[in-house]
Amino acid sequence: MKSSRRAGILREGWTAHVNDYAIGCDWGLNGDVLVVCDALGDIKAFNGKSGKLLWEFTEIHDNGLLTTSVNPEGSLVATAGQDGNVFIWDLSSGICATKFKIGSGWIEHLSWSQDGKYLAATCSRNVHVINEKGEEIWKSEPHPSTVSAIEWSKKNELATACYGRVAFYDVKSSKLSQKLEWKGSLVSMVLSPDGDIVACGSQDNSVHFWRRSTASDSMMSGYPGKPSSLDFDHSGTLLATGGGEIVTVWSFQNSGPEGTRPGQLELQSKPISCLSFAPRGKQLASGSRDGTVIVWSLKNDGDGNAVGAAMMTDQVSDISWRPDGRALAATDGKGQVTTWRISK
Amino acid sequence: MNFNEKVPVTILTGFLGSGKTTLLNRILTEEHGKRIAVIENEFGEVGIDQGLVINADEEVFEMSNGCICCTVRGDLIRILGNLMKRRDKFDYVLVETTGLADPGPVAQTFFMDDEIRDEFTLDGIVTLVDAGHIDQQLGRSDESSEQVAFADVLVLNKTDLLSNESLDELESRLRGMNKMARVVRSQQANVPVDTVLNLGAFDLDQVLERRPTFLEPEYPFEWTGVYLVEAGTYALTLEEGPDPNMSIAIRLEQGTDDPSLNEGAEWCVRRYAESPEVLSPGSVIPPERHIDLQLQSDGRKSFCIEVDKPTKIGLFTQHTAEEFDMKLFKSDSDASSTQIPIEVERTWVAQHEHDDEVGSFAIERDGDVDIKLMNAWLSKLLAEKGIDIFRMKGFVSIFGESRRFVFQGVHMLFDAQPEKEWGDMPRQNQLVFIGRNLDEEEIREGFDGCLI
Repeated sequence: MKSSRRAGILREGWTAHVNDYAIGCDWGLNGDVLVVCDALGDIKAFNGKSGKLLWEFTEIHDNGLLTTSVNPEGSLVATAGQDGNVFIWDLSSGICATKFKIGSGWIEHLSWSQDGKYLAATCSRNVHVINEKGEEIWKSEPHPSTVSAIEWSKKNELATACYGRVAFYDVKSSKLSQKLEWKGSLVSMVLSPDGDIVACGSQDNSVHFWRRSTASDSMMSGYPGKPSSLDFDHSGTLLATGGGEIVTVWSFQNSGPEGTRPGQLELQSKPISCLSFAPRGKQLASGSRDGTVIVWSLKNDGDGNAVGAAMMTDQVSDISWRPDGRALAATDGKGQVTTWRISK
Repeated sequence: MNFNEKVPVTILTGFLGSGKTTLLNRILTEEHGKRIAVIENEFGEVGIDQGLVINADEEVFEMSNGCICCTVRGDLIRILGNLMKRRDKFDYVLVETTGLADPGPVAQTFFMDDEIRDEFTLDGIVTLVDAGHIDQQLGRSDESSEQVAFADVLVLNKTDLLSNESLDELESRLRGMNKMARVVRSQQANVPVDTVLNLGAFDLDQVLERRPTFLEPEYPFEWTGVYLVEAGTYALTLEEGPDPNMSIAIRLEQGTDDPSLNEGAEWCVRRYAESPEVLSPGSVIPPERHIDLQLQSDGRKSFCIEVDKPTKIGLFTQHTAEEFDMKLFKSDSDASSTQIPIEVERTWVAQHEHDDEVGSFAIERDGDVDIKLMNAWLSKLLAEKGIDIFRMKGFVSIFGESRRFVFQGVHMLFDAQPEKEWGDMPRQNQLVFIGRNLDEEEIREGFDGCLI
């Protein structure tokens, strides 16, 4: 083991590189592997502890890779890109288990169902759902505009966001179960763990959210930029939002967040590019376009303090907590991959 | 940290059939050493198979506040957001809009979205105009006049369909709508690539370098006639006309071809800028000077022109020869006279005769402005009239600032940046407004109120 640089609770572990802008990093196989893809279309799987390269493939998606997603079990990673293909890779062997051509448009979003049985993929105004074998089991009607976010809300229910609305589809019955409308361009979406709260970042520099059970909605405005990254903590109490250099955290405890003052986490000098809550507890990692990664310890009201900080070489493109919450990985725009152990 | 330079973006607009695809293909096939990404929104008549071409559905997203000035192109934000990750793959972006597109949301996208603004810079808006059809199109649709109004470069294409005279008239109409744009004529969209790419149209310094007055010159004269003359004395006669006086400048060795006439016009603009010498009938008109002919007296007036060697003289007059039935005679020694025929004549279509709703004007003032007054005035103006102000561009001299401030805006959005030091340059202000039904007087007065 090399000697670690220490900055708060972050102890630097291994670093590695991919060849272009790193699209994202995901832990698999209970943290034994970290898979990283880049915009050029390369995929690399590293040993989670040592950083040793386990397997790799280059330029798997023509014209570039756009998104990746690891299944809930952590055994598979799905990749998609500008070529309209979805590939599913076995993380332990590096074998491409499934190939599926969705269409000619860009595939920008992927999402695994909670039981890992289905994979949803967006292709311009449509959403397709395939099973593990690569068979299409459902295809949406064309949405009013390009689908900007998808997430599973229940076992067989998928939430989709686009300009002007969030819709919920039962993929088994193909029924539209709920539609939440609002005139604005929704650029991001996150659901609370119980699926009741739907929060969307909007192009007009606001966060809009609905409670599905009561169909009530609220708007939080005043962001300097568009909130393109959002995350709920595991309990569904705190919603962290980007949309500027400050991380704004809304607390849903008691009757909030309406009428409450949000937590304002202010240390980064350029807009927030990614946010990720730890799997348990109230630790939040924020990445910024200034290249910094900061870990915050939050209270129930959304306020908090920085407990760890690190610097990447370029804008932070993704942050991922190891499933046990004891390590953190981040990637940046120059293709650097860095991991940290979280010390107590 | 190393943040790369912003990637320039050119927006290409124009009605269907104006030649956008032809121009696009020309740009892509020409050797210019640029790696260009093209975002295409219309399947043109000619296929494009060169370079990185992405087809996109135009997705115009209005904001919840209902403000049209905040309307953006969602598809561009999405596509450019992904493209910028792979910046090593391209160093220029061309966005082609559909023929019916309002250029506003496209341009606003580069001001409104924080991420796009960080990575890309709007280099310029190029509008192709089908010379044969634009006249009717301008009457029929708001989009075509908006496309003309937003342009930094107007490519007047398919000029072979029109006579030179009609082209001049058309060009004058377009200039009335948009004083800021540079007009380039072409037949098959065959314009040099550097007239449409890397314009730095939003970079005022470059614009000023290219055109010292930054505005296309407005000719203060309506007519030019070129006469072949020998040495001797000539009489210029004028009947009663619409005005009690008229400016004239006589240029020696004036050529008759188009470039020479244009050169003469530029020369004459400079003469007309000088204060005129007032001459009564019977006087000798000195050449190469700005003269103000006094024509108040009744009946025919006559002035002398003396020529010392055979040459061609160009008469640049404030009004047309026809309006005063102006004629040139050789005064022979035996008291008889011979009328000299006009070799070539050119009518410079009068300005200020445009009835288009869309128009533009410039404010040019010496001196300094008070920044507080300027901010208050501009904020109010843009809040009230932002929808009708398509574009604003210019620079101002702010009191107490050693540097020139550059202003530019699209609808309500505007940006002011300090630029180079004034140094020894005379401190002055130039602002151009382009929009629909703008109250020129009110805006001028508003600006004058900001001057110290």
